[in-house]
Amino acid sequence: MVRDFSLFTSPGMGPTPDGDPHAAVACAHDAPSIFYSPNNTRDGRGTWVITRAKDQRRVLHDTATFSSHRSIFASALGENWPMIPLELDPPAHGVFRSLLNPLLEPKRVMVLEPAIRERAIVLIDGISAASTNCDVMKDFAFPFAVSIFLHFLGLPDERLDTFVGWGKDLLHGEGVKRTAAARTIVAFIDDLAAVRRKEPTDDFMTFVVEAKVDGRPLTDEEVRGIGVLVFVAGLDTVATAIGFDLAYLARNPKDQQLLRREPDRIGLAAEELLRAYSTVQMIRVAKKDIEFEGAPIRKGDYISCATMIANRDPAEFENPNTIDLAREDNRHTAFAYGPHRCLGSHLARREIVIGLEEWLSRIPDFRIKEDTAPITYGGHVFGIENLILDWS
Amino acid sequence: MRIIVHNDKCQGHARCWAHAPDVFKLDDEGYILAGDIEVAERDELLATRGARSCPERALEIDRAFDALLDRFLFNQACGGFNT
Repeated sequence: MVRDFSLFTSPGMGPTPDGDPHAAVACAHDAPSIFYSPNNTRDGRGTWVITRAKDQRRVLHDTATFSSHRSIFASALGENWPMIPLELDPPAHGVFRSLLNPLLEPKRVMVLEPAIRERAIVLIDGISAASTNCDVMKDFAFPFAVSIFLHFLGLPDERLDTFVGWGKDLLHGEGVKRTAAARTIVAFIDDLAAVRRKEPTDDFMTFVVEAKVDGRPLTDEEVRGIGVLVFVAGLDTVATAIGFDLAYLARNPKDQQLLRREPDRIGLAAEELLRAYSTVQMIRVAKKDIEFEGAPIRKGDYISCATMIANRDPAEFENPNTIDLAREDNRHTAFAYGPHRCLGSHLARREIVIGLEEWLSRIPDFRIKEDTAPITYGGHVFGIENLILDWS
Repeated sequence: MRIIVHNDKCQGHARCWAHAPDVFKLDDEGYILAGDIEVAERDELLATRGARSCPERALEIDRAFDALLDRFLFNQACGGFNT
């Protein structure tokens, strides 16, 4: 029941030229469906690893047994406050979720679409006018995703590079850098909230500082918890998804041509690519001792529900390691299951689809530039960099 | 065809709505409205796709209802319920 497995240190999880971290973790299905990994967090703690989609659903639905309250961001600063709603359990969770759902529900996201598309077009036209190759993450994926996120927050684009830098340090920097980035982000959110309390506009932060839950305004800590979560969640998740998708299409010219010829297929294809290249893991903490599918989980144990493992579950997906852009009935868990289903999933999906649509319609047959190798990595959020595409 | 909506299981993925926005109605937070759905024949394909793409298994396709309805219509067409 104990396995030497880690999303941080197993083979293929470190920075790897031409790596395939998703295929590397799919081997978890050769192990028992639940096992204990003594070293599966960034700070070297052990977790139970739940490999099957159906078991992950059970864990993520059972909020009475498996808590989300971890203060993962705050604890890096030696503090203890939850990112909201992610690290709250019901019933408190539902109150904040109801407050924020209307800002990101599917029909509301449709209103943002013209701005998303325009941003994609401006960036891609700039790239294609300048050259016949580019570093996709630096030149397109990050600026695109972060710019939409700033637009959502109601902030100007001019600080874009600063935000990207903070995000990089936070998610992939070493200890000191990470703590410094976390402090910077908290200070930024606190300052922004203070400014909006004094000078309300019609942006996201104004909404948060003026909102009421249970008939009372939000505390400073609650405002911070929401602001930090939106910042962290919106920074590199979408960019990374676009990166993995374009890397796949660069290596699979037939699929690239299919989507260029029949762009109506991009929506369904994006779902399959979300399944195959998920990037996050959910962690829960057991609130009590429980026998779970034969595993003796004890109060305080960490339970890892890694999306990239469940999405390669052969019991859930036929030929899980085959990417089939026409796959239907695709009930993947890229945005999690249960009450904590990614609040930004509707926005993320539209960003990915619009990004792919505009890229494919504006950039001719592209491939990975000769003598270059994209670098992939596992960890807290899977990633890809140095993705140099060429269409000369 | 009828779709049984287990709206307590809905978590707002909106995959059903993405496939068939005319069949699946969402509230202001993006979660499905309570109540089972009678699906017109022309919408069956998209509605089935929508129901089958729910990650939470909140939408159940009720085929037994189809059979019941067929029997009823057949009987009605043949002059009532002479058992």
